[in-house]
Amino acid sequence: MTEIDRIVREIKSLKPISTISYKVMEIMSDPTSSLDELVGVIKYDQATTANLLRICNSSYFGLRKEIASVKQAVAYLGVEKVACLVAMVNSGENFRDAQAGYDLDEGDLWRYSVSSALIAQDLAEKYRIANPAEVFTAALLKDIGKVILSTHVRESFDAIMREVEEEGLTFLEAERKVIGMDHAELGARVAEYWNFAPPLVDIIRDHHRPDRARPNDLSIPIVYLADSICMMSGIGGGSDGLAYRYYRDVVDRLKFSEMDLQMTIINFQEKLKGIEELIKLAQGDE
Amino acid sequence: MDIVVGVADMKVSNDPDAALITYSLGSCIGVAIYDPVATVGGLLHYMLPDSKIDGRKAQRNPCIFGDTGIPLLFKEAYKIGAQKNRLKVIVAGGAQILDQTGLFNIGKRNYTLVRKIFWKNNVMVDFEDVGGSVNRTLRLEIKTGEAWLKISGIGLKKI
Repeated sequence: MTEIDRIVREIKSLKPISTISYKVMEIMSDPTSSLDELVGVIKYDQATTANLLRICNSSYFGLRKEIASVKQAVAYLGVEKVACLVAMVNSGENFRDAQAGYDLDEGDLWRYSVSSALIAQDLAEKYRIANPAEVFTAALLKDIGKVILSTHVRESFDAIMREVEEEGLTFLEAERKVIGMDHAELGARVAEYWNFAPPLVDIIRDHHRPDRARPNDLSIPIVYLADSICMMSGIGGGSDGLAYRYYRDVVDRLKFSEMDLQMTIINFQEKLKGIEELIKLAQGDE
Repeated sequence: MDIVVGVADMKVSNDPDAALITYSLGSCIGVAIYDPVATVGGLLHYMLPDSKIDGRKAQRNPCIFGDTGIPLLFKEAYKIGAQKNRLKVIVAGGAQILDQTGLFNIGKRNYTLVRKIFWKNNVMVDFEDVGGSVNRTLRLEIKTGEAWLKISGIGLKKI
């Protein structure tokens, strides 16, 4: 068995995706499904419903009215946002632990994941893309490969850093060169193992390589952009730092200006307090 | 006791038991100042250079921007006894994504801004660690003025 085979086998050690997350993803990807179906599926999962309502009533959303049911949550926040929140309250478990290889303390990877997913959600809205919940979920889970690769990165850290510092490789390229596998590719394998829809797998695989996206695809560029903004803003970043490439063509394709960049950073900062609360509530402790 | 300076945040202190710390600077800049005679320290973590982009937000939180946050840091430190001519000044952060061609060059712009303000106001920088593509954490002990820089993945060094 090769080293890569051994790494891929570790995918099985991850906590499985909850049934409700699958159901919600299925409903969201089926244009013929109804709003009532979504409400019905969530309603019968008590833990998810309780977490969802707590989050809806948190300061992040700042709603004046108390949300008391899933139906109300959908009415106030919309189907897409509620679907995103369901993904969020059911995904925390795999992301909570410290990841020593990436120098991330307990909770850092989760904070980073939620933050970049929320930025991606805002961008998805700005660009009016057809599948915002998918973009959110992809941004949330894109670093799942790090959870497995962390121990391997730790063992080879000096060699990886040499490639980054002396050869000018990105952290991702260095992972691949030294370990034979990078966290994005591994994340895509996890997504396949979890039977995620192909577009979701593609976003996870190419979240650092938006140049590989099809010319009319905005999902990968948006998740890439959200990730880059998160890196710059210093939200629980780790040892890979900002050692990823800037793809000017991709940013140009989105017609994303420097003003847009700065305003996104400011708006995100203003929401930070609410986001911290949201992250705590969505940790999935209960 | 560590007092955490968040993103777009600033703290000053003269409590000898306290240390000011700011995590994961990314493209943001951390400015630490310390007066050894008054044992007063201050730490700012700003995200963007120029408040002209949104004056209202700068009013609400001047620490988002360097041009409003840096003067505020000094003023607040003066209020509790610091004096400009005694200040030790540290600058850290301003990292960038690789292959900078312009748009994502916030780190460099943040750094240029702090140099410009210090130049105009005759402030000497005693130590700086900026640029590259690494995450930095900066910590300042009030009692001793000792400062520590942690580069994520590389390690901790005393400044």
